[in-house]
Amino acid sequence: MSKIHFYDRRFGYLFVSPAVIILSIVILAPITIAIITSFYDYTLINRTLDSFVGLRNYFESVSNEKFIHSAIVTIVFVILVVLFEFIIGFLIAILLNQVERFRNIYYFILLIPLLINPIVVGLIWRMFLHPQLGILNYLISLVGIDPINWLGDPQNAFITIIFVDIWHQVSFMIILLLAGLASIPEEPYEAARVDGANAFQQFRDITLPYMRPVIIITLLIRLIFALKTYDLIYIMTKGGPGDATDLISYYIYRSAFIGLDLGQAASMSVILLLIVCLIIYPLFKFMNRADE
Amino acid sequence: MNSKHIQLIGVTKNFGKNTVVNNISFEIADNEFFVLLGPSGCGKSTTLRMIAGLEDISEGKIISNGVDITEEDPKDRNMAFVFQNYALYPHMDVRKNLSYSLKLKKVEKSKINQKIEWVSNLLKINELLDRKPSQLSGGQRQRVALGRSLVREPNAFLLDEPLSNLDAQLRVEMRQELTLLQKDLSKTFIYVTHDQVEAMTMASRICIMNHGEVLQIGKPQEVYDKPNSIFVAKFLANPVNNILKSKIIKKDDSLWIESLNIFINNQNLNNLSEIYFSIRPENLKLNNHDQSYNFEVKIIQIENHGHELLISAQLEFDKQVIYFRTTKDKSFMIGEKIKLYFHIKDLLFFDMITERIIT
Amino acid sequence: MRTIFSYLIITLTFFSFNANSVTLRAVMENVPDTKFIQELLPEFTEKTGIEVEFEVMGYGEMHPKLVPSLTASTGSYDFMPVDFYWVGEFDKAGWMMPLDDMIAKDGFDTSVYFDSLMDLTGRVGDTTYMLPFYNYAMGLTVRKDLIDDAANQASFKSQFGMDLKIPTKWDEYLKQVEFFTDKDSGFYGVVNQGGKADPIAMEWSNYLFARGGAFHDQNWNGLLNSSNAVDALNDYISMINNYGPLGAESFSFDEAFNVAAQGNAYSYLTYNWFLGSYNDPEQSSVVGKMALIPVPGEGGLNGAWGWSIPKSSPNPEAAWEFLKWVESPDIAKRRAEMGGAATRKDVFDDPDLNAKFEHYPGLKNLLATSKNFPVFTYTPQFVEVMGTELSKAVIGEQDAKTALMNMNNQLEELAEKDGKR
Repeated sequence: MSKIHFYDRRFGYLFVSPAVIILSIVILAPITIAIITSFYDYTLINRTLDSFVGLRNYFESVSNEKFIHSAIVTIVFVILVVLFEFIIGFLIAILLNQVERFRNIYYFILLIPLLINPIVVGLIWRMFLHPQLGILNYLISLVGIDPINWLGDPQNAFITIIFVDIWHQVSFMIILLLAGLASIPEEPYEAARVDGANAFQQFRDITLPYMRPVIIITLLIRLIFALKTYDLIYIMTKGGPGDATDLISYYIYRSAFIGLDLGQAASMSVILLLIVCLIIYPLFKFMNRADE
Repeated sequence: MNSKHIQLIGVTKNFGKNTVVNNISFEIADNEFFVLLGPSGCGKSTTLRMIAGLEDISEGKIISNGVDITEEDPKDRNMAFVFQNYALYPHMDVRKNLSYSLKLKKVEKSKINQKIEWVSNLLKINELLDRKPSQLSGGQRQRVALGRSLVREPNAFLLDEPLSNLDAQLRVEMRQELTLLQKDLSKTFIYVTHDQVEAMTMASRICIMNHGEVLQIGKPQEVYDKPNSIFVAKFLANPVNNILKSKIIKKDDSLWIESLNIFINNQNLNNLSEIYFSIRPENLKLNNHDQSYNFEVKIIQIENHGHELLISAQLEFDKQVIYFRTTKDKSFMIGEKIKLYFHIKDLLFFDMITERIIT
Repeated sequence: MRTIFSYLIITLTFFSFNANSVTLRAVMENVPDTKFIQELLPEFTEKTGIEVEFEVMGYGEMHPKLVPSLTASTGSYDFMPVDFYWVGEFDKAGWMMPLDDMIAKDGFDTSVYFDSLMDLTGRVGDTTYMLPFYNYAMGLTVRKDLIDDAANQASFKSQFGMDLKIPTKWDEYLKQVEFFTDKDSGFYGVVNQGGKADPIAMEWSNYLFARGGAFHDQNWNGLLNSSNAVDALNDYISMINNYGPLGAESFSFDEAFNVAAQGNAYSYLTYNWFLGSYNDPEQSSVVGKMALIPVPGEGGLNGAWGWSIPKSSPNPEAAWEFLKWVESPDIAKRRAEMGGAATRKDVFDDPDLNAKFEHYPGLKNLLATSKNFPVFTYTPQFVEVMGTELSKAVIGEQDAKTALMNMNNQLEELAEKDGKR
């Protein structure tokens, strides 16, 4: 390596080091502490690391049927939420991509839900969904439908929180997918029109291949965030009715701060982390392949 | 004369309040190499796209082989389009790019393979069939784009500045290949370009456009020698044309062209006091070979183009700048005064106001 | 840039000048009793020169905020309100400072507090850790105007063969609920707060006590699988499903309150301090129509908060000054005057307050008869358990017997874990 190269690289490292150091402290350190904690019997009343229990917390978590139940509820929630947000988001992005006038206004309006704090989203929707006093049941009564028990019936509650999450987060998909769509050149479509492709064929043979990296990244990011959904449950259902909407983040939170068992909660968090890594890895590889 | 293949009748294109193509009409015969030539923004690409069906027509009709195709989809017009940026499908390999249109028409596999073989032999792209467009050079992509249109065996080929993204050397090669290809296929080519060299060398007829209107249509040599307006005279020039002004003063029975200090007889100029005149640089000679006219100039700049010299000089009378060409063995001095000789038939006159030629 | 710099200078100067003045910080719940104290704070500052800053938040955010401060050697908070839920936990973890010495030294009289409240948020064992702050004993709010209506009285008598009056027996109340429910016109005999975990657990505890049931005996053996408990749970299920509004299974206390306050329910079992909100025209359309009575039957659920000084308090002496002030007879009376839920017998005996609040005698009686929830380290955890099991029973995922058996087992498990049995 020539001298100039060496100084160049060193300068680069120096530039990057503040960010790397801060990120390490803020991200790696807590994760490491959490992992360490998970191997001990560590509670909020007795915060000492003097009883090492190895994998006991993990065994207890995995055999805890409430934890399993939360995991299942979470998985179903995440799949449905990401799927619908993707489909609806993609449709809206495609429509928005074809609009010329007032595009910025539509964009802004669609963006607003995403900008609202999730706590506020939960509170506002709780108000709207009040079975007697909320505006939603009032509106549907105008067309002759009986009031719906949005959050009190277990199946309804599950669907309702999916719906609220979609309302809140779909614009995330719209932004990313729209950016992807906007970057596709116009000409392959024209060539396809001349070659005789209809709208669906153009979508399948041109749009989708172009969008592949964007789609994968968008799904990935949304998936990871969806797994962490907490605020919505905390505000709207507290995991109920019964345990119909007991998402795993909320369950872990309760284990830590109400059950006071931090070691146990840490082990559950680590399990969640492993699941997330397992999901990311193949998707990551898939995406790298798409880049070639 | 061959039968009419494609006709444009009163075709107009408006983008909002902007009229981009204004009421143009012309006919293209079978197997012509018809070139639409003009500067950027003159409407030539839009016209081509309207013929293809990629743009809607605001007013007018397009007729192909006697059939009104104004409302037809691009795919039903039996025409192929070659894009300036090739527009290859980036996620398909060359083979798939070539066969895409056939697959959509559900042509059977053996036939598809046959066509692909034919096209790749014709365009010499056999080794490229398994590559993706990102792995091809500009020239290779151009061939694949051509191949894609050939495979459909259309009645007409529409090409939108296909060579403008290639380097100079490659452009010369491809010009020749395209010309040969058209002759081999015996199909109509409609070709859009801003490069007048391409137009001159490839066209059977050139159609010059500016500001959305057709200015002149004709064979290359015709249009070159007899431009009908100053714009055409200026545009078809390599590298430059001389267009100067002069007062005309009647003296006895002749007309005196003041700037050149010559007398001519031309009834059409009788009532004019001022005109534009034009004489191409290559028509100005240093020696008097039965050319009857001459005038004096002072040399101001000498450009050495390697194969010849391009010299700019000032007219004695009013110092207007005029260019002439000469072989590279000559040597001149800046400030030197010399005489230039020309044939009267090479001197063209244009009206001051209409800028059109005065015959 | 300039503004930041000058701000910095000013702040530093301020701190150097006020090196001797103290600012007390505390986390406080977003309830009327907090507001009443906030109005009086300037007097405290004037009297002592001590500034007081409240961080006001919802119930759910308080515990997570407190715990990190309590576990630090020097925390962010100087004093804190402690919900009875947390008393066991805070005691086990040793986070609260014993107050006996300070009480003795300043001669603070703690005999003025109701015994049940001192047991709940005052003493733990023989040590005094807290001074009771405000109570949230639960009572029944009913539409007195509907009871007094002659037509209703006649109709009720003919239907059930008994007089329509303020209910004192549980069965009597159940019949009234049935009588007043008219779902077609959108009026309900009762509105419940069936939401997880806190609302349903608290509300149902009243049903348990009303039926004469209990959570555990002195040795912490569970008593939740008794027939009283089963009846109490079946009552609750029937209330929600037959006589209550749609969606009550997910109501928290403000959603349920709103239904009653908008005039759509005959009764609502709730915290006694809600009476003030019923009579606030900005929140309620039934001003003056709701009466607060003890839970019919054998008693309702007691609840309270206590003032405590954390061991990690940065300014314990100043904090004690605040506690003495806020619980002084004068300030306690004025807080009660504004509508606060007092914890002292002398407040309830005060003639002025009795003249102002006609429900005071009733309320005194209510406090005297209220029963306590099981208080131990895992109280919040048990509330969660109750919330889940009760909620499942209400929505029909399990029957009452199973729910109670689960609750009972888990209560005993948690008690064992805490060393109580």
